[in-house]
Amino acid sequence: MSERFTLSSLAIRNLRRRPLRTAILVAALTLMVASLIFALSFVTRVNASIQLTSERLGADLLIVPTGARGAAEDILVESHARSFYMDKSIIERVRKVAGIDKLSHQTYLISLIGMCCSVPESMIVAFNQETDFVVKPWLKNKLGRNLQKGEAIVGEESAFNISLGLVETETQLFGNPFKMVGVLDKTGSGLDTAIFISDENIEDIIKNSDAKIKADQISVIFAKIKKGADAYKVMSEIENNIVEVDVVMRKDIGKSLLSALSDIRKIFYFTMILSTILSLFLVWAIFTAIANERIREVGIMRALGAKEGHVVKLFLFEVLVLGAIGSIAGIIAGTSVSVLLAKNFSILKDLPVDLGLMSRMIIAAAGLLFGTGICIFGALSPLQRLKKLEPLIAIKQE
Amino acid sequence: MSQIKLQNITKTYKIGEETLVAVQDVSLDIQSGDFISIIGHSGSGKTTLLSLIGGITTPTTGKIYFDDIDLSAMGSDGLSEYRSRKIGFMFQFASLLPMLTIKENLLLPTMFVPDPERTTALKLADKAAELLSLVGLGDKINAFPNQLSGGQQRRVAIARSFMNDPKLILADEPTGDLDEDTEQDMINFFKSMNRTEGITFVMVTHNSELASQTQRRLRMHQGSLQTL
Repeated sequence: MSERFTLSSLAIRNLRRRPLRTAILVAALTLMVASLIFALSFVTRVNASIQLTSERLGADLLIVPTGARGAAEDILVESHARSFYMDKSIIERVRKVAGIDKLSHQTYLISLIGMCCSVPESMIVAFNQETDFVVKPWLKNKLGRNLQKGEAIVGEESAFNISLGLVETETQLFGNPFKMVGVLDKTGSGLDTAIFISDENIEDIIKNSDAKIKADQISVIFAKIKKGADAYKVMSEIENNIVEVDVVMRKDIGKSLLSALSDIRKIFYFTMILSTILSLFLVWAIFTAIANERIREVGIMRALGAKEGHVVKLFLFEVLVLGAIGSIAGIIAGTSVSVLLAKNFSILKDLPVDLGLMSRMIIAAAGLLFGTGICIFGALSPLQRLKKLEPLIAIKQE
Repeated sequence: MSQIKLQNITKTYKIGEETLVAVQDVSLDIQSGDFISIIGHSGSGKTTLLSLIGGITTPTTGKIYFDDIDLSAMGSDGLSEYRSRKIGFMFQFASLLPMLTIKENLLLPTMFVPDPERTTALKLADKAAELLSLVGLGDKINAFPNQLSGGQQRRVAIARSFMNDPKLILADEPTGDLDEDTEQDMINFFKSMNRTEGITFVMVTHNSELASQTQRRLRMHQGSLQTL
């Protein structure tokens, strides 16, 4: 059976005429789309992770000892264990500030409980179960009861270490035996390597260990403000009335990290803009060369009955095939690089949010649109010139 | 009724400050089934005149009618359709696309005919094979142009001009690369198509011998047309 000879088969033949030139164009598009995919994956993950951490924190304000603002952010946004303390009586002073709705406090203790070198230093977080609105929302499975003395909930990474046998399911914390009874979702913060216990245990810990904490000390107060209250005003009120504390607003958590990341993002965007301009120039230059060398052929086709639309379709098909191949290769390369580097970049490794299939598909679609768009845009001017040539003038071109 | 009617056609080109007159005030009636030859020196305007009739360029002044339809009123797409349905071109240079096989080069004009009017792929392939046989190249159907001599390429282009069943063949020195025997074979082929299919031929040639075998002989001289 004889197959119909079509414009698309003609376009494919054209692409095969200069395999090196086609390969160079595809490679340039691949690099451009790969860098776009990597940059988008990176920025999307970081933004989503910080947003998730901030949202699931459940508190509008974070009240810490004066000077401990950075340390608190270290714990919440990055995976660094820190300890800092203030007097427990501050809770009542904060409660009196207008606009405060709920308060919950936690005490941070640092313990080295790993059995080998790869297990990080762990935070022991003693929290108040009666007032808590910070820890329990992160529980994978509801416990259905309060923690008993000697029971603990573990962060996602600690749970992983336990499953590997690097941390005992029954372990000694500051000389006290503890049993792990629940696991939190990944938070991407220091809380992932933390072990959560009820603050009823603090007395025993102080008694049985050399932990440098007094019975009436806490590390942090989480505050929810009343509906309609201005978080900024409440924060100012607390800082003005209680000099022993610093206050961090929820929206500001991770701000310093975001600011550092924004520089990285700017570098990504700058690289993207440069590679886009370069790709556009390359596509334009290559399609101008293609158009110039095919002027006579186009003239012959026009003389044989081809309309301007046929010329446009023929070249657009070539452009789209090139754009699609380059973009798909770029999507595969960019996604692979972002997955591989995520394992090596500490900033990516600890993020709580991984990109889901839908997010990856949206980023891939953006890459495909961008790659083919650049190709179409770059080819427009030579194509416009070619289709408008009078057939006789085109035929006479050498 | 004339199949082609040229009314006071003039075609000029601007080259810098100068205006070059390629065709000057030419009027001509061509009847359906005519076999016309045009002779003349290089640069006398023969190719331009064929191009004007074929609608691949437009006159500076004057009107061209095909079956009483004014070509100037057709627009770009209309002219393409006119060329596709009515005209078969034989160019004076190698006009095959190098990346296509001989068969695909023959099928090229059929791609531009609107779909409902296109016959099946199989019929088109059969027609291409038949035309190639008629010009003596039936065994070259799957070859590429660079595997053929100049004369063979010229014969492929001749075969291609008949693919869309044209009403009018515009042949610009169609036998330029052919030896004498093949040249005569091609002219006999044209005469046969003219006689049996009623196809009109307008052929530009330098060869007076060939011109003498046509029904009407015209001469182009400095853009003007004279009857011999």
